[in-house]
Amino acid sequence: MRFTAVLDGTTGGAGRRAAALSAFLREGLSGEAAGETLVFYNDQRDRDRLVELAPTPHIRLVKTGSRRFDHMAEVLVAAAQTSEATLYLFAGGPAGTELAARLACRTGGAVLSDALSIETAPDGKTSAPRILCRKSVYSGHMIGRFVLSARPWCVTIDARWGDAAEAAVPEHAALVRTVLSDVDETGDADAPPLEDIELVDSLSGSDLADCRFLVVAGSGAGSRQGVARIAEAARRMGAAFGVTRPAAMNAWAPLDRLVGVSGTYTAPAFCIVAGASGAPAFYRGIEKAGFIVAIDTDEHAPIVRNADAVVLDDGVSILEELADIIAARRDAV
Amino acid sequence: MSAMRILACFKVTPDYEALRESEWAVGAAPSTGATGGSNATGAADAPLGVDTRYVRRILNCFDESALELALRLSDSLTELGGTADLGALSVGAPDAEPHLKTLLALGFARAARVHTEAALDFAPAVTAALITAYARRIDRSDLLMLGARSDPGDGGTVPFRIAEDLGWPCLTQVTEVGPLADGRLRVTLMTDGGLLRLTARTPCVLAIGNAVVSHLRVPTLTDRLAVRDKQPAVLDPADLDVDVAEELCRETSSLVALESIDRRRQSMVVPGDTPHAKAQALFDLRLKSLLEEL
Repeated sequence: MRFTAVLDGTTGGAGRRAAALSAFLREGLSGEAAGETLVFYNDQRDRDRLVELAPTPHIRLVKTGSRRFDHMAEVLVAAAQTSEATLYLFAGGPAGTELAARLACRTGGAVLSDALSIETAPDGKTSAPRILCRKSVYSGHMIGRFVLSARPWCVTIDARWGDAAEAAVPEHAALVRTVLSDVDETGDADAPPLEDIELVDSLSGSDLADCRFLVVAGSGAGSRQGVARIAEAARRMGAAFGVTRPAAMNAWAPLDRLVGVSGTYTAPAFCIVAGASGAPAFYRGIEKAGFIVAIDTDEHAPIVRNADAVVLDDGVSILEELADIIAARRDAV
Repeated sequence: MSAMRILACFKVTPDYEALRESEWAVGAAPSTGATGGSNATGAADAPLGVDTRYVRRILNCFDESALELALRLSDSLTELGGTADLGALSVGAPDAEPHLKTLLALGFARAARVHTEAALDFAPAVTAALITAYARRIDRSDLLMLGARSDPGDGGTVPFRIAEDLGWPCLTQVTEVGPLADGRLRVTLMTDGGLLRLTARTPCVLAIGNAVVSHLRVPTLTDRLAVRDKQPAVLDPADLDVDVAEELCRETSSLVALESIDRRRQSMVVPGDTPHAKAQALFDLRLKSLLEEL
């Protein structure tokens, strides 16, 4: 099977996306596969860095407008007409989903988002080549296996492949890369449909993705004040602080603190979850934690079964006590 | 400024968090004994072998934000001296009817459901085809607003498929939207590169993400009484010239199996009679050594 990994280098976070694609090609894609990377870039100054980030030795570069996903889709359609690639891989996230969906719609191919893995389905004499993808469904309660038939197969990979811990491998950095082509398509784009674009917050300051010690507050904290007290306890303990979606949707904490499928995937060594039921959409954001402690008053909450240790009590009280113990120990030292 | 025709689309799903974990394990078994019922939702869940007919129904959370944001956009347009003409659409089983009635009471001028018995949970192309046909042929919308994703497929491709069919731009992971005096929209959205604010022209599709506006307002009794004789329209896919069976055959990806997920860990209960004793036990258990490492 031949693939094209597509890397959007026109927006922030390209390093993480490239690392995710690299990790997926290494561990998520099974069977014989070979391919190249198509890199979209906008700023000449980013070009060489993006080449170094590409997850394959062979690279094609296309210069486009920043965030011009409509135009990038056109470029991909043109490439698909001449390329031998049957699989187009995109990093997870809004841009990847848009490019994959638009490419599939325009070429009659199949699209699937957030793949955990891809394998080549049996290719009998009577059936056309197909691939089998696994992805999370039913709010993370189950894994679905999907067969993709029509080609090209346009697949985005699950955001968990972007975990820094998984993605950072020396082989990726050591690849010898060759640029096969470098085309400037900026002149071919139609007038941009969007104007006055302003970056409000780069959200790059989030410490959640790479933290070693994490405290998460759920709606069981009861109020904005409860969440604030847990955040303060986390700060005193030297832990990163996150919240579940219900807590964020109550505006008890900023959205960049959101942990889970719709927020940040984390992989801390130690994670304390206070007052969260443990719905899969949240749990998937902490499931790579080395040790999970659930603090909850409800012994039947799903988080209790899915934690290494359980404290059956009020989250705010326990965390404030814990912060005092840690502070006293620091003072003693 | 002419009235902006806004169509907000929503899906009603079972509240999967209301199911016990053991029921999901049953669902992973071979599905020959599936207990899914004859209504559309039951049929959709048939491969699971889990009966969700008695699980309460909820609005897909991103769609709920879309509905409320549509109402707020309408309010803001009115304040600017303009008007909005609000429509609501759901595709599928009659579960959506009470919500459609609520939306009429909240000021939506039109509320419609495209009725189909077919299981469309893993058929985003069919869902998109029905919404597109309704928007183009019946509603003649200027702006589509809907959740960026929905259960159980969680694919996130429906807004882009609609945008492709209509030839419109699509902005996804939208968190805020407001009108400008010239009819354009000021939109805030989460992207891979950060939080952006930009100006967009209609027509376009807005797919709503983690908006802080996450709860649909509640109509008063007076609001409800004012529309008590108004019923949501029910359309057949044939009214939109869409053959669902044929479209289903054209789906290019298909769900062939489900696997359960075992997330259980040790669940060791930390001992102690007081919060302090429990915190101390937790500290001694693992935290002390971790902090030394860090």
